Amino acid sequence: MTRTALSFIFLSIALILAQVTVFNHVSLFGVAVPFIFIYMICSLPMTLNQNWVLTIGFLLGLTIDIFSDTQGLNSLGCTVISGIRHNVLRLYFPREEDMTNPRPSIRVLGLGVYIRYEFTLSLVYSAVVFIADSFTFFDPLRLLLGIVSSTLLTTALLIALDYLITKSEKRL
Amino acid sequence: MRNLLRFFVRFSSWILFLIYVVASCWLLFTKNPYQHHVYLTSAGTLGKAVYGAANTVTSYFYLREINEDLQLRNATLEVEILKLKDQIAQYKLQEYSDTMRIDTALSRYSFALAHVINNSINRPNNYITIDKGSLDGIEPEMGVVDQNGVVGIVNVVGSHSARIISLLNPYLRISCKIKGQDVVGSLVWDGKNPSEAVLEELPRHAEFNLGDTVITSGYSTVFPEGVPVGIVVEHIAEHEENFRTLRVRLNTDFSTLSTVRVVIDDMRKELETVEDDSKTTPKNNMPNQ
Repeated sequence: MTRTALSFIFLSIALILAQVTVFNHVSLFGVAVPFIFIYMICSLPMTLNQNWVLTIGFLLGLTIDIFSDTQGLNSLGCTVISGIRHNVLRLYFPREEDMTNPRPSIRVLGLGVYIRYEFTLSLVYSAVVFIADSFTFFDPLRLLLGIVSSTLLTTALLIALDYLITKSEKRL
Repeated sequence: MRNLLRFFVRFSSWILFLIYVVASCWLLFTKNPYQHHVYLTSAGTLGKAVYGAANTVTSYFYLREINEDLQLRNATLEVEILKLKDQIAQYKLQEYSDTMRIDTALSRYSFALAHVINNSINRPNNYITIDKGSLDGIEPEMGVVDQNGVVGIVNVVGSHSARIISLLNPYLRISCKIKGQDVVGSLVWDGKNPSEAVLEELPRHAEFNLGDTVITSGYSTVFPEGVPVGIVVEHIAEHEENFRTLRVRLNTDFSTLSTVRVVIDDMRKELETVEDDSKTTPKNNMPNQ
């Protein structure tokens, strides 16, 4: 338990640093921003109390906000996906008691279900962030393009990240 | 009472969810950047530490382009120096020197050099973080320029770092004019392209050509007069009949921003008191009613 918590904290710090120093400055085609740190919310154990999930999600978003000068934007997105993630997983994987490990990953859920789960959460996250941000300049085409491209980019990176982390865990 | 407690326990995650959403929205809709708190911005201690470390690596990336810009600027300045030397020589010939006085306005501004440690250009509201703060004499609402032109205005100041509202932020409006003319408009970013902004509220009678240089007006204590801003590239069809709107290509390349100068105006306090007096004096002179 302590070991899981520690590795969670280290991974969070690593992903936050990677997000604010590298991925925030990636903007493919001028619009697509990858949000890799939501991996932490997606992969919290399903057995964890919902109140903890919400609190961790909100604080994670707030940390990203502080670094990228986007007050409340990422914390709103993180709170929303923390709130819906359990229901999203139930939608694609109804037999929750079949999970060999409460932490959602490709190994536990299978690639198909995992991709759908990550895609949905990325889509909701990108939609919340881009819509809340577009109150400054409203441009429907750019908004749509931003949501779709960021979702695809984020999903691809989350799958790659899960492969990497699962692999390194096997080696240990 | 017990039912109420049971209700709270049962719906605790919904209540918590609502609390977090409301907190986020409250932060989100406090849009005025001057109301942001230093701990919740990249000018805080943690932000400074992380971005400072990352900057020691990334600051090398754009050295070539910055060097080229500096060489160009150097060349133009050298030409200017030669011209000025010629002028001085002429004045000496005219024995003008004994009537000349030192203009106090020239010694009015000084500069503090700072490194950009974080910068964004593709968001709707962009900010820049620099590695100098209140201990280096930086205060809110000071202007920031680089070797090419205007960059932004200081907004939140920590002890060793400061956040600047980038010119690429719709909350920043800078009073500008076309070089060689005295009509003033206001420059603002329209969120479309990080290399272009819009010069609005220019009076209808203003004359301009495409390719004219846009400079700061010097009507505030933020920027000295004549700092280059950009070049007029297009006349946009106006909605209002009394004003012209021009599209301006910015001189500053915000994607390779590295070293900037913060403009310190030594006359700022004096000007502020003078302007305050002019507001309060008429009240004092009002007859008692």
